[in-house]
Amino acid sequence: MAYSDKVIEHYNNPRNVGQMDKNSTEVGTGLVGAPECGDVMRLQIKVNPETRVIEDAKFKTFGCGSAIASSSLATEWVKGKTVDEALEIKNTDIVKELALPPVKIHCSVLAEDAIRAAIGDWKKKNVVEGQAVSTPVAVAAN
Amino acid sequence: MAVVAEPSKKLVCWSCGSENDADAQFCASCGKLQPYTPTDYFAFFGLPRRFQLDTASLERQFYRLSRKFHPDLYARASSEEQRWSLEKSSVLNDAWRTLRDPLARTEYALGLAGIRLEEQSRDASDRAAENGTAKQQVVPPDLLEEVFELNMQLEEMRMAKASGADDPETRGSLEAAKQNFDSQMKTSEQDLQRLWSEWDAAAETDDGETQQAAQQKMVDLLNRRSYIRNLLRDVEEALKN
Repeated sequence: MAYSDKVIEHYNNPRNVGQMDKNSTEVGTGLVGAPECGDVMRLQIKVNPETRVIEDAKFKTFGCGSAIASSSLATEWVKGKTVDEALEIKNTDIVKELALPPVKIHCSVLAEDAIRAAIGDWKKKNVVEGQAVSTPVAVAAN
Repeated sequence: MAVVAEPSKKLVCWSCGSENDADAQFCASCGKLQPYTPTDYFAFFGLPRRFQLDTASLERQFYRLSRKFHPDLYARASSEEQRWSLEKSSVLNDAWRTLRDPLARTEYALGLAGIRLEEQSRDASDRAAENGTAKQQVVPPDLLEEVFELNMQLEEMRMAKASGADDPETRGSLEAAKQNFDSQMKTSEQDLQRLWSEWDAAAETDDGETQQAAQQKMVDLLNRRSYIRNLLRDVEEALKN
């Protein structure tokens, strides 16, 4: 199967690979996996507590080229967005941007899951005043 | 889930009109091939739906049926019989390939119980999107942590190895990692067999709760296995180079 140029580009030059202090209250960590292909993806965001803007994002993914490209792209996209804007990112946007073939769609799903999980973790750490944080039980950072 | 085959309806032979068991492949009276009706692989072999299976006897049954269904035998038969012989031969091959392999059989039997291993992640995503919640991961968080950590270590070893010196220390850690994954795979096979017998025993007594619990443990075990299998593949790759 041929990867698109954009996938190859992200794969060769992944953006924002790395790690942030997961104990920091400003950092939200999402660790997600897809057992059917054995991929694991960790995506972290650093959120400004005042503006709720995601100021930095890092990822580390063990998986195929599409999974790496999807998470690389996800970190690029969430940066500069507020957490609520970031929640609007859909896996289909990633599919379109990277021209992922049908068999690789689950990689983009994983990236969307990772964003939601990271934001969920951040929200859990920062029960935002005046704003109900939805279902704290379900947003466990797994 | 119906564990034991439904109290069987009778199958009336299209040729001589005698009554046969519902899953009969041939008429007991006249020996004619009976129509193909889609059924699960266990029923196709006339077996109860169980995880444990005598593969030696399955193999004998497979060869016996292969000969009896063989399309060459029906070259002069009616076009219906020719079609049934083709259909049955093809299902027989699929059923044999699936049931003889312990893992394929486990996944298949779990599928009959309504568990779609391949789809579990997507199903969880769909549920999350519907409820607007974060997705419930299909594997326990501590397993993800562990797998992530193992991947990190493996990557370090591979990088150390790639950066020139094939030092004995790195090779040693890779070998140790391989041994660890190998033994986890073996352990998981033993655990799987234990879960099979738990489920099968519960099926005899219609203990649905125990069956459910055993099924869930099998799913967890298979998920874990697919991660370990990938790690094993990577570590073997690193050792080869």
